[in-house]
Amino acid sequence: MGVRLSSVAKSFGSFRAIEDVSMEIPTGSFAVFVGPSGCGKSTLLRMIAGLEEASGGQIAIDERDVTAVEPADRQVAMVFQNYALYPHLTVFENMAFSLRLARRPKDEVNARVGAAARILQLEEHLQKKPSQMSGGQRQRVAIGRAIVRQPKVFLFDEPLSNLDAELRVQMRLELTRLHRQLGATMIYVTHDQVEAMTLADHIFVMKNGHLQQAGPPLVLYDDPDNRFVAGFIGSPAMNFLAARITARAGSRVTLSVEGSDHPFEAEMADASAIGSAVEIGIRPEHLRIGSAPGLAVTVDVAEELGDVSYLYTRTASGKELVVQRQGSRDRLDGTLVHLSADPKHVLVFNGEGRRLR
Amino acid sequence: MSQIQSQPQLRRPAKSLPRRIENAVLSVLTLAAALVWIFPLYWTLVTSIRSDENVAGNTSLLPDEFRLQAYVDAILNTRLLTWYFNSVGTAVIVTVLVLFISVLCAYALSQIRFPGGGLLYGVVLASFMVPAQTLVVTQFILMKDLNLINTWAGIILPQLIAPVVIIVYKQFFDSVPKEMREAVVLDGGGEFTILFRVFLPLNWGITTALAIVTFIGVWNAFFWPFLVVTSENMMTIPVGITQVNDAFGVAYARLMAVAMLAALPVIIAYIIFQRRVTEAIMISSGVKG
Repeated sequence: MGVRLSSVAKSFGSFRAIEDVSMEIPTGSFAVFVGPSGCGKSTLLRMIAGLEEASGGQIAIDERDVTAVEPADRQVAMVFQNYALYPHLTVFENMAFSLRLARRPKDEVNARVGAAARILQLEEHLQKKPSQMSGGQRQRVAIGRAIVRQPKVFLFDEPLSNLDAELRVQMRLELTRLHRQLGATMIYVTHDQVEAMTLADHIFVMKNGHLQQAGPPLVLYDDPDNRFVAGFIGSPAMNFLAARITARAGSRVTLSVEGSDHPFEAEMADASAIGSAVEIGIRPEHLRIGSAPGLAVTVDVAEELGDVSYLYTRTASGKELVVQRQGSRDRLDGTLVHLSADPKHVLVFNGEGRRLR
Repeated sequence: MSQIQSQPQLRRPAKSLPRRIENAVLSVLTLAAALVWIFPLYWTLVTSIRSDENVAGNTSLLPDEFRLQAYVDAILNTRLLTWYFNSVGTAVIVTVLVLFISVLCAYALSQIRFPGGGLLYGVVLASFMVPAQTLVVTQFILMKDLNLINTWAGIILPQLIAPVVIIVYKQFFDSVPKEMREAVVLDGGGEFTILFRVFLPLNWGITTALAIVTFIGVWNAFFWPFLVVTSENMMTIPVGITQVNDAFGVAYARLMAVAMLAALPVIIAYIIFQRRVTEAIMISSGVKG
């Protein structure tokens, strides 16, 4: 196992930033911690790096307990959001800094920095100062500084946040390629669920210091454990409607939606009582537009993106729903349409937000 | 060309008449203040190149003589070179020690969490508010008890208290992003590596500026060296000037020659490091940093 956290906790005074988090990150995988600001994802990363002391639990890297080990001895390297390059040193000196501190032979330093520079296409910039480079190049230097240390685990703390949208997409691809090339375990923190979906083998969704769900991106997308994960993963976000279970036939339940005569059906084996108040979640691409019967909505705004369009609609009771359409280019602004969904794509959540399967 | 002509709004607007008058008045006032400031220096120079007989009653503003005899007398008949040596020695040592001690103190206060850290910083701030003169008697007794009267150590030790240097360094270290420190920690560096290989090189300008201000301050210091030194061999230049009267009687040309020689290093340092000195004064007076 690359990294194993067992019941890890972190408190700052009376504030509990991380509570009883356990997870396993396989060797060589690309794990992403994702969640809203203040959810504890960066704290967790910094605990793995050794920059924050764990208040409880155990952290192991390659089956070695590193909970009380100094950061430099954990065989991890970290890439920071603001790069944290040493501005008075050249790119070469930045990348060689840790090797020189460790008093590695000059030949080895040159070889390792050279190899990292080749991977990151930084060879012609080695004598430049960070201030002479663009944001993307600086980020590559920061990654290069991590590579030369040949760590067991790479840690990335929102490394693309300071880059513009186009460069971010480019760097995302470069990181994916780099991961394939190096085959090392990488842990990446972001609040951007698109970054998480595109980069990760495993996503760990966090909220208020708790791990909400872990798994491959598409499992989290298709089969979320709770309302938070369902709402956080996916863009545009999942639509939620307050509903009540009105009937059951085998594993299929009928749900009436507040403010609408049209019932939805869902696949659900959970034995919740008839009459229970629940919430249903349907992704924008799973809502079908048709004529009655269906949930009547008025199209407020239609965003046409060419290959796909997003309809921002409103029910009679004022509830907003986003619908994704593919292919059709009919202008529907201001019109009344009816929405329906395949029962297998209607997810049901109980009052506490837990998924009912 | 036609494009430029078609965009007259891009041209700098001409200054209005009241604005030009205001600028002219300010320029005249600045020039007048500069003349007032430089006049004593000029008068010292003019007097020092006259003969002593030609000094008394001579009110001519222009140099009417060019003699270096006063300088020759000052160098040959006083212990000026010894005083120079003492001044350079004590000023260099104080500057190096003040910077070294202050940088370590400021780094600890800024970057290391330890019990009583806040209280210690409070003490540093409080010491900033205590006038040096109030400490003189205590310091003199202490130096006497330590048998340090008439020694370099006696001149140097009390001048090592420099809270302003600590405060300026602490403000600088506080402004360095914490990731910089963490990057060094992950690279395997300790506190001394962080301080001397990363933090200080981030901005040598601050260290240079503080070094200049400290050096000039110690070079010009009169009160404490005057108290702690009675032996002519241990005097610094500002104290030594008081001995010139004893050596020559009332001999203004020679007195002014010694004063010019005393001020020379500071004048040269100022000319070379003009921009840095201005920065240093702004930093240490809290305008910037």
